Amino acid sequence: MSDPSTVAGHGRIGAARTQAGAVTALRGKLPPHRRAGRVALGVVRYGVIALVAAAMFLPFFWMISASLMTYQESIRIPPVWWPEVPQWQHYAEVLRDPNVPLGLYFANSAIVSSAVTLLVLATSSLAGYALTKLHFPGRDAIFAFFLSTMMFPAFLFLVPVYYILKRLPLMGGNDWLGMGGVGALQSHMALILPFAVSAWGIFLMRQFMMSVPDELLDAARIDGASEIGIWARIMLPLTRPALATVAIFTFIGQWNYLLWPLIVTTSAPHLMTVPVGIRMMATAYSTALSAGRLQAATAMAVVPTILVFLAMQRHYIRGFALTGFK
Amino acid sequence: MALSRRARQTITGYAFLSPALLFYAVFLLIPVGMSVYISFTNWNLLTPLERARKVGWSNYLYLLQEDDMFGAALRNTVIYALGTVFIGMAVALLIALLINNARGGPLWRFLIFAPVVTPAIAVGRIWGGIYHPAHGYLNEILRLVGLPPQQWLASAERALPSIMATAIWAGVGATVIVLIAGLRNVPAQYYDAARIDGAGPWHEFWHVTLPMLRPTVLFLSVTGLIGAWQVFDLVYAMAVGGTESGTTPARAVMVVALYLYTTAFRNLRAGRATAGALLLFVIIFVVTLILLRVLRRGGLEAYE
Repeated sequence: MSDPSTVAGHGRIGAARTQAGAVTALRGKLPPHRRAGRVALGVVRYGVIALVAAAMFLPFFWMISASLMTYQESIRIPPVWWPEVPQWQHYAEVLRDPNVPLGLYFANSAIVSSAVTLLVLATSSLAGYALTKLHFPGRDAIFAFFLSTMMFPAFLFLVPVYYILKRLPLMGGNDWLGMGGVGALQSHMALILPFAVSAWGIFLMRQFMMSVPDELLDAARIDGASEIGIWARIMLPLTRPALATVAIFTFIGQWNYLLWPLIVTTSAPHLMTVPVGIRMMATAYSTALSAGRLQAATAMAVVPTILVFLAMQRHYIRGFALTGFK
Repeated sequence: MALSRRARQTITGYAFLSPALLFYAVFLLIPVGMSVYISFTNWNLLTPLERARKVGWSNYLYLLQEDDMFGAALRNTVIYALGTVFIGMAVALLIALLINNARGGPLWRFLIFAPVVTPAIAVGRIWGGIYHPAHGYLNEILRLVGLPPQQWLASAERALPSIMATAIWAGVGATVIVLIAGLRNVPAQYYDAARIDGAGPWHEFWHVTLPMLRPTVLFLSVTGLIGAWQVFDLVYAMAVGGTESGTTPARAVMVVALYLYTTAFRNLRAGRATAGALLLFVIIFVVTLILLRVLRRGGLEAYE
């Protein structure tokens, strides 16, 4: 269905050459007024960087500080920047509240995001292998078709996919023709299956696999290896960086995805994911006195993706750079 | 050894593609076909689709001629998409030039990237508080520099621009990273040559950096716009619920995806919503084709 991750190309950020060397070499030769100009430019530059950094950071700072405020502090005018006595118990209260099972939301998000990621890795790497290393009629047309699907708006699928999931055979009380019952709608399948294929994932795997030399595969073929064996034992290990990139993007994209889980879980609250859960909490904690708890819940929802990002920063940023380049 | 190598590769190739093709067929091709059919019915999602009455072009006619909310949604979506993508690009270019080769790179990267990986619903909640007219930080900052406080999300004129500003904040890090990769792919000799010719930083930017970045910028425009036409999460989080800023006038922030969601899954008019989705697709398709033509002229060959 629709792809919550971004569209991608292929590139090599690693091949960056340093510009600094050239600048240093020339610096000595610059006339004095030029040099003063460059120094002034440097001051302005770091000044603006500091401003941008503050603008990027301030909203997160506010999220944390608001989660630690009493209600009275949170509505004070002019606003308080940091609470007098931080109310850490808001976090514990949210975790203990049985009406908004944050633990369940996290578990659902973890199940759905992991399952989708594994499926996308499998379908993308298999398809990528076929599209680069095997030769057969219709190959390029199929690739062009995959690419063009990136243009379809998600809304073209939502209504029919809802109907199709309900009719998937042999699930949720259906008979083998898929009549009756709720089909896959009341299970995690409803959140997983529509995202098992990613045009973007196929694209990235294909671009990366093109750089694996054919001779390597031919050598294995001569030794009697099957294509599936070559895929598993040669291709997958060699394309680990691309697999990591696809995995991180898919995982974070799924973790943050709101629209489809919102539609599916309206009738199945036990399937709610973290973004839907925050939305529900906004209603549950709408009373003035629980404003701090809502902030604490929001702050906790941000933690997993930031942690994944911090841990995988190199792959993630590389992946983003890949999205723009050959 | 009965099969030729070519025949074997054809069978293996399609076998390898079959999981992807199967999912594509079930969750993409069949749904698109169904969408076209559903758009000509008055289906309400609840009754079996076979029993829905066929209504001809009336869904399309209603959306385009009678429903001024859909018109507002189209208008807002165009403003949102063009605004966030192109203003976002300018901001990202500025940041990319500033932090490329700057000291403390990992810290800047972390700061501009944290919003990219933050769920949109959380971003919406965070900014809802910042925009709060009475006790939000934004008005406090205005007060500190001596400006009068403003209504942000609750104002008909400022609600959409406020959401767009948040969207730019949330997405700019991604654009910056791709632009930095683009900057690093400009051959160093070009800068050396420009400097030997006595070019200042400004000349370098206009005559070396910008032309070399053109393919990157156009690529980011195409992919950025495809995403932006479909904005849902942020508008839903900031305008529909979960903010502390009170209610936003619906017409001021209604975007197509939000309209379609409400029409299909709240008001149960699946036929009308699907017709709207097809109209959105036509817009995305036409704009993308136009941009791709420009892109090709602007050096898409470099990508082949």
